[in-house]
Amino acid sequence: MKATRAEARQSLSVRLGWRLAAVMLVGILLAAAAVAWRAIATVHELDDSALQTQARLIASRLPASPDADGRVALPENLIAPFRASDGDNVFLVFQGDRLAAASDAIAAAHLAPFLRNRSEAGFFRLPAMPDHVHGMVGLDTRVGPWRIVVLQGREQTGVLLDSLVENFLLESLWLLLPIGIATILVGVLTLRRGLRSLRQASAAAALVGPTRPGARLPVGPLPREIAPLVLAVNDALTRLEHALVTQRRFMADAAHALRTPLAVLTARLDSLDDHPALGALRSDADRMARLVGQLLRMARLESLPLDVTQWVNLRAVAVEAITALMPIALQRGVDLELRESTVPLIRGNHAALVLAVTNLVENALSYAPPESAVEITVTSPAAITVLDRGPGVAVKDRERIFGRFERGSAPRDGGAGLGLAIVAGIAAAHGGTACVTERAGGGAAFVLALRQMQDAPDEPRPPSPPRPSSAVGDSFDLYPKG
Amino acid sequence: MRLLLVEDEPELSALIRNALERAGFAVDLVPDLAEADDHLALAGYDAIVLDLALPDGDGLSLLRRLRAGGSNTPVLVLTARDGPDDRVAGLDSGADDYLVKPFHMPELVARIRALLRRPGAVLGVTLSLGNLLLDTTTRQVRVDGLDIRLSVRETALLELLLRRQRHVVPREILEQNLYSFGAELGSNAMEVLVHRLRRKLAEANATLRVHTVRGVGYLLAGTE
Repeated sequence: MKATRAEARQSLSVRLGWRLAAVMLVGILLAAAAVAWRAIATVHELDDSALQTQARLIASRLPASPDADGRVALPENLIAPFRASDGDNVFLVFQGDRLAAASDAIAAAHLAPFLRNRSEAGFFRLPAMPDHVHGMVGLDTRVGPWRIVVLQGREQTGVLLDSLVENFLLESLWLLLPIGIATILVGVLTLRRGLRSLRQASAAAALVGPTRPGARLPVGPLPREIAPLVLAVNDALTRLEHALVTQRRFMADAAHALRTPLAVLTARLDSLDDHPALGALRSDADRMARLVGQLLRMARLESLPLDVTQWVNLRAVAVEAITALMPIALQRGVDLELRESTVPLIRGNHAALVLAVTNLVENALSYAPPESAVEITVTSPAAITVLDRGPGVAVKDRERIFGRFERGSAPRDGGAGLGLAIVAGIAAAHGGTACVTERAGGGAAFVLALRQMQDAPDEPRPPSPPRPSSAVGDSFDLYPKG
Repeated sequence: MRLLLVEDEPELSALIRNALERAGFAVDLVPDLAEADDHLALAGYDAIVLDLALPDGDGLSLLRRLRAGGSNTPVLVLTARDGPDDRVAGLDSGADDYLVKPFHMPELVARIRALLRRPGAVLGVTLSLGNLLLDTTTRQVRVDGLDIRLSVRETALLELLLRRQRHVVPREILEQNLYSFGAELGSNAMEVLVHRLRRKLAEANATLRVHTVRGVGYLLAGTE
C-alpha cells in the first residue's frame, strides 16, 4: 500500500530531467530542419544563378537568325561541357515551336515534347523522369527570335543535402550533446539542492509530537517557493501547542480542584474517632475519589495526545500492575500469577499501559472467586491477557462493557464503569484493541492486543532485558475456539 | 523526628499536621516555596512532605534545587496530578515517594516511616511485622520476644521483604541482593531459600507469611 503510493508519486527531479531531455531533442531536430531548409534554398539559388549564366552564355553565341535549313550552329567548346555532364546539364534552343539546336540529341528527343509549347519565360521544374528521378529544374529565356531552355538535373541537390544534414548532425551533436547533458544536470542538481532543505524540514516534522510541542520546522535555507508552506505549518504548530498547553493546564487545574476537597474530606474522616457511620462514610469517600480519578483519566485520554514513542517492556508493565494490586489480591484471597512466553518490547507509553493492565486486573479481582488465581500472560508479539475464573462475560455484553459508564451484568464493587473504557482508550492510542473472550475451563479472558511498532531508524533499540527464568504456562488456551 | 510539611490548602494542611503529630512526628508547616526555603536554610529536617501545586510555583522546583544542592533528605510528594508524565517527572526530580490526593492518613504515615527506615536514613535499626522483630545491626530475629536462628542469607532475605512489606519484591531484585555478582545460581536456589525461611517462621509461630507471586517475586504480609 505504502510502496505503491510512493511509486505513483513521481520525483520532481526525474520529471524535470525527462522534460529537459525532450526539449533538448526537439531543439536539435528543429535546428537541423532549419539548417536543411536554409541549405536547400541556397542550393536552389545557386542552381538558378548557374542556369542564368549558362543561358546568357548560349544567347551570346547565337546568330541573329537561323541558317537555311533552320538549324543553328554553336561552337563545340560551348557544347562540350554539357555533353560531358552525361545528361545532367542540357540546353535546347527553339525558334517558335521548332527545335533549332540542342546540347545532346538523345536528351533533346526526350525533352523537346515537354518544352516545345511552353508559353511563359522564367524558371520551371520538370517532374521525375526515368533518366532524372529527382526531376529537373529549367530556365526559359527569350532572346530575339530564340527561346533558350537550359535544364539541370536535381540529383546534386539531394546529394548535397544528405551530406550537409549528416555533417551538421554529427558536428552539432558533438557540441549539443554535452550542452544538453550539462543543462539537465544543472536543472536536476538545482532542484535537488532546493529540495534538500525541504527534506530537512520533513525530518524535523517527523519529530514533532505531543512530547515536543515546541518543535518547529527549520526555515533558514528554504527556497522562496517552499518557505510559505513551512511557515504556515509552523503557525499551525504554534496554534496546536497553544491548544495543548491550555488543555494540559485545564486538566491539571481540574484535577487540583476536584481532588483537594476530596483530600480534605478523606483526611477529616481519618481524623475522626469511632463513629458507627465512619466505615460507610470512608468507603463512600473512597468511591468518590475513585470515580474522580477515573473521570480525570478518561478526560485526559480523550483530550490530550498520549506519547506512545517510548520503548516499553510489556513484562515490566505486567509486573508493575501486579505489584500494585497484590495487597488487594491478598485481601480477597486471590492469587496473581504472571506467565510470559517472551519479553516483548514495543513502542508505547509505559504509565498508560500499566494503568490499562491495572484496570484489567482490578476488574478480574472483583469477579474472581476466593482461592482462585488471576493469571496475567504476556505474549508475543505484543499482547497482555488477564484471565480469571469468575462468571465470564455474556456474548451480548462483550462489546458493550468497553463503553463509558457501562457495567457488567453483575457488578461486584462500586465501579463507575469507566475502567474498561479507559483500557479501550489506551489500547486505541497504541493502535491496538481491547476485547474479552471466554477462558477455556470457565471465566473471562481480557486481551489487550497492541501493535508492534516499526523501529525508528534514528534511534537504536534498547538492549533486551535479561530473560527471567520462568516456565511458560503449559495448558492454557489464549484464544478458545467458538 | 522533625518533618517539614509544605502545603497551601489550610484545612488539609491542618488535618495532615494533626495526623502526623499524633503519629509522633514534630511538624513544621509552611504554605509556600519561599517559606519552605527559609525553614530549610535554618533547620535540618528528617523528611519533607511536599505539595506540588503551590501559590508561588511548582514544588518540583524546590525538590530539584534541594537535590542539586546535594541534599539526601527523603521527600514525599503530594499531588493532585496523576497523569502518565507527572509521576515520572516527580520521581525524575528526586522524589522518594509519590502520593496522589486524596489519600488516607495511615497510608501517609506508613510511607513516611518507610522513607525514614531506608538504609542510611534515620530509622532503620529495627524492622517489624506482626509478632516479628529484626534488628538490622545485630542481625537478631525475634518472634514474640524469643530469638530464632536464621542463616545469614535467610536473614538478608527476611530484611529485604520486611523493608518492602506488603509489597511484591521482584525475584530479580532479591537475586541481585542475595547472591554475589556472577555467582552460579541453581535454578531453584531461590525457592529452596524461601522454603527454609517459611519453615522456620512457621516453626516459631510467626504471624506473617511469605507469599509467592508466580512469575514476579515474593511478598511478606501479616496473617491477621
